[in-house]
Amino acid sequence: MNRNLTIAAIVIAAVLFTAWSSAFIIDEAEQAIIVQFGEPIGDVIDEPGLHWRTPFIQEVRRFDKRLLGWDGDVSQIPTLGREFIIVDTTARWRIADPLQFLRSVRDERGARGRLDDILDSVVRDIVSGTELEEIVRSADWEVDLAGLTEEEIKALQQMNLDSPERGRAQLEQDMLASASQQMPGLGIELIDVRIKRINYIESVRKQVETRMISERESIAARFRSEGQGRSQEILGGMERDLRRIRSEAERTAEEIRGAADAKATRIYGEAFGQDPEFYALFRTLESYKSLDENATIMIDADSDFFKYLQTTQR
Amino acid sequence: MPQQRNVLHEILGKQPHRRPPQGPTGRQITLGIVILLLLVAGFTSFYTVQPEEEAVVKRFGAVYGITGPGLHFKLPFGIDSVQKVPTARVLKQEFGFRTVDASGERSRFNYENFLDESLMLSGDLNIIRVEWVVQYRISDPIKYLYAMREPTKTLRDLSESVMRRVVGNRIGSEVLTTGRVEIASEARNEIQEAMDRFDNGLHIITVELQDVVPPARVQPAYNEVNKARQEAEGMINDANRQRNEAVPRAEGTAERIIAEAQGYAAERVNRALGETARFNAVLAEYRNAPAVTRSRLYIETLRDVLPRVGSVVVMQEGQVLPLLNIDQTGLRQLSAVGDEPTRDQPAENALAEEDQ
Repeated sequence: MNRNLTIAAIVIAAVLFTAWSSAFIIDEAEQAIIVQFGEPIGDVIDEPGLHWRTPFIQEVRRFDKRLLGWDGDVSQIPTLGREFIIVDTTARWRIADPLQFLRSVRDERGARGRLDDILDSVVRDIVSGTELEEIVRSADWEVDLAGLTEEEIKALQQMNLDSPERGRAQLEQDMLASASQQMPGLGIELIDVRIKRINYIESVRKQVETRMISERESIAARFRSEGQGRSQEILGGMERDLRRIRSEAERTAEEIRGAADAKATRIYGEAFGQDPEFYALFRTLESYKSLDENATIMIDADSDFFKYLQTTQR
Repeated sequence: MPQQRNVLHEILGKQPHRRPPQGPTGRQITLGIVILLLLVAGFTSFYTVQPEEEAVVKRFGAVYGITGPGLHFKLPFGIDSVQKVPTARVLKQEFGFRTVDASGERSRFNYENFLDESLMLSGDLNIIRVEWVVQYRISDPIKYLYAMREPTKTLRDLSESVMRRVVGNRIGSEVLTTGRVEIASEARNEIQEAMDRFDNGLHIITVELQDVVPPARVQPAYNEVNKARQEAEGMINDANRQRNEAVPRAEGTAERIIAEAQGYAAERVNRALGETARFNAVLAEYRNAPAVTRSRLYIETLRDVLPRVGSVVVMQEGQVLPLLNIDQTGLRQLSAVGDEPTRDQPAENALAEEDQ
């Protein structure tokens, strides 16, 4: 009884183990190839779910079915204009032909190694054959100078403002096309290649920053001198206005006075002209009235007045 | 749990007591295994989905369905597996800086550590530091899980690439000033396009630009420009202020000068009119009897004047004859007359002036 039970248990265990070994699960994210003694057997299994194999002699090689990322090394590359720039590229790829993939690169690590070689050299070739402007700008590049200060425009005009021949997107397309040519042998499909980062190397960056600083400084200087100029202009205008206002007022005042003087003169002339001789008398007598105790009157003894005086004294 | 403990007791706990005679019987072992299996099945056949999540259910690795929030059942023993994806949550990626939740307070990491991410070239080959945030949502959990291995890393790579393209297609001053809104929306659309091309189930909600500034070493020069602009405006305002003070004052003074002249004119004309009116009146009388009036005027005047005058000197053939009633003052003046015969000049001057 006890021995039978043990045998039964062993048989059941063996059956279970065999079943366990012959079933395998392919995940939604996976595809697989069955390999028997190192030789791929049958088609690629890309249907997720429960699958079967011959136990013990067949093994399952799984590959990711999803899009995979590739991140390039940050590399220093000289452009066509001999500026050294730092370029960091990134790419998306997938295992399009697992069989080919298995044969040529074996696994993802092998694939990454090949991708590094191919993409790095493609990126290097294209960047070093291109002006920096081409890489930075896009095909729809357009400069709008409105709203910029004169200094900024001047600084801009010193550099090449042309539209790029190809532009960044096209360069990325070129990289993709060029690298893709070498992909079929690897069982890889390259989906896209992009320039992730692009910047000057440290020493060039310092130079560019220095240029930016001096550019700003000249703009600042311009603002200041413009301010001074405007201020002087306003003060000059003020001086002009002040002199004009004052002199106009004085002129008007003189005109008014002159007119009044003329009118007075005419009035006097008309009145006194009626009898100049009487006027002389009238005026003389009139003027005597303003004499005071500080004055001394000298009377000629022969004058009429003295005659009257003598008469009245007598 | 208590059940499980009983079982353990049955299997293991009882062993010490019955150690010498025999182990557990076959029945007991089978029973124990069955109970264990049932327990494991019980614990692995349900799962909870949080309110902001959706769960992707797979049977033998193949996607079987999506379930929403709540308690759900599934087949045990790894036949069904579940991956939960926070589809309702707004997720965020930061570029050029990081925030961390430190004791409930959001604090900002030093951006210096992320200059690689944030420094980029503008179209005029200047360097600009751009910080931005991409907000996104997982709109399709199945695509999110199975279209790409690293959708989030891809989002980051693509965001950096797109932002550099957009910034590189503009001149620096536009990026720093007027271009912000346009850059953000252009970047959002372009990142979304890329995500759609990868079909990875990500929906980009917004791209928000944070700090967009020149590099740290250049920043003071930019501030200097702002300062210079302020100074220039200050100078212009100052000049305008001086002008606005001086001109109205000058205009007031001008009014005054003119008004004074008008006053002079009125006075002058009126005096002329008055004097001539008087003259005319007297002249009319004089013409009636010239000789008499002449004498009368002469005498009347002297009568008025003489009492007020300091001294009267009578001259005869160049000789000075003192007049009557000469008091002390008169004497002094009399003696002075010989030395200063021009003593009466003020009177003459006054007369001369009046005549002009």
